[in-house]
Amino acid sequence: MAENARVLLPLLLLLMLVRVQNGESVWLNLPSSGTKCVSEELHNNVVVVGDYAVVSDDHEHLTPIISSKVTSPYGNVLHHKENVTHGQFAFTSSESGQYLTCFWADHPAEGVGLIVNIDWKIGVAAKDWESIARKEKIEGVELELRKLEGAVEAIHDNLLYLKNREAEMRGVSETTNSRVAWYSIVSLGICILASCAQVWYLTRFFQKKKLI
Amino acid sequence: MKTTMKSYAILGLLLLTTFAGELSALSVTVNDVECVYEYVLYEGDTVSGNFVVVDHDIFWSSDHPGIDFIVSSPGGNVVQTMKGTSGEKFEFKAPRSGMYQFCFHNPYSTPETVSFYIHVGHIPNEHDLAKDEHLDPVNVKIAELREALESVTAEQKYLKARDARHRHTNESTHKRVIFYTIGEYILLAVASGLQVVYIRRLFSKSVAYNRV
Repeated sequence: MAENARVLLPLLLLLMLVRVQNGESVWLNLPSSGTKCVSEELHNNVVVVGDYAVVSDDHEHLTPIISSKVTSPYGNVLHHKENVTHGQFAFTSSESGQYLTCFWADHPAEGVGLIVNIDWKIGVAAKDWESIARKEKIEGVELELRKLEGAVEAIHDNLLYLKNREAEMRGVSETTNSRVAWYSIVSLGICILASCAQVWYLTRFFQKKKLI
Repeated sequence: MKTTMKSYAILGLLLLTTFAGELSALSVTVNDVECVYEYVLYEGDTVSGNFVVVDHDIFWSSDHPGIDFIVSSPGGNVVQTMKGTSGEKFEFKAPRSGMYQFCFHNPYSTPETVSFYIHVGHIPNEHDLAKDEHLDPVNVKIAELREALESVTAEQKYLKARDARHRHTNESTHKRVIFYTIGEYILLAVASGLQVVYIRRLFSKSVAYNRV
């Protein structure tokens, strides 16, 4: 019994760490008062899966609680939870733009900042490989190769997206370029026009005053 | 003895199932210091990543020289430092396992948004192969392939963040061209008008008549 426990405990700890390593999560420092936000710019139709948890290594005190909110670029609240130590959210982006995830500590009486673990996966990483493996009955090396194939497809899609963005930006650049040329010529024209108008007006003025 | 072997086997299999997940590039607003933590599971893992300062609403480019980036190991030693950059790629071999700290320092008071991506890559080596009979040499090759694809994905995220920054600059230039040119025309017209009014006043009867 004791031997089982001695084997199980490090196994469980490593399992937890492995699960964490799977998602490649990031730990953030939450200040004791105020909000901490992370954002990401997403385009349309991207699957997003997020997982956050407060990390506390001190078992005597209660784990501090936080609130979280996920907002879309147009202001819609996609996920809002108060007074929790961990949470999960999943959505598909319907608008392209900046998605903001904000956390704040509910009871700033703690004094010291707390650490939040955020696991944020988009696109191909958000795919549920376990259910796909079960459904198609693949495992081991074949599953790994399937994942790599997914990664390569994602790279290809990203390249196409970058290409389109570059094309848009090139359009804006060329518009700016032609506008700079045109506006400078118009500016020169206005300068000449203004000086001619001045000279004409002042000549008329002095002639009226019988000074010329 | 058999249970420890079995638990190691399960662990080994689980470790292999770390998929080529794409951690999306999160953005964080740096006011003074912002620190992000990442856990490195094995000593000798390659930690790679990049960061780009995205939000750059500055007037002249000499206003903000960039932000400082400091990576600290769990022991407190500084692993890497980059000063005054607006975006860099980094890569290092982790000297030990544990929680690594990635800090962005903003020397000025204007808040900057930094988009970062951190990836911890592990390739099983001969030591792991010898320890676990379920680990095939093909798994080593798959891990290397996965890491190579990860580096391509990381490069793409860097390009995407740089593209976002370039787009910011472009749109800012576009807006500046329009507003500054129209402002220039108005100013020109006002200046000529003022000149005419002033010269008229010089010749007006209320001022000494034949002074000019």
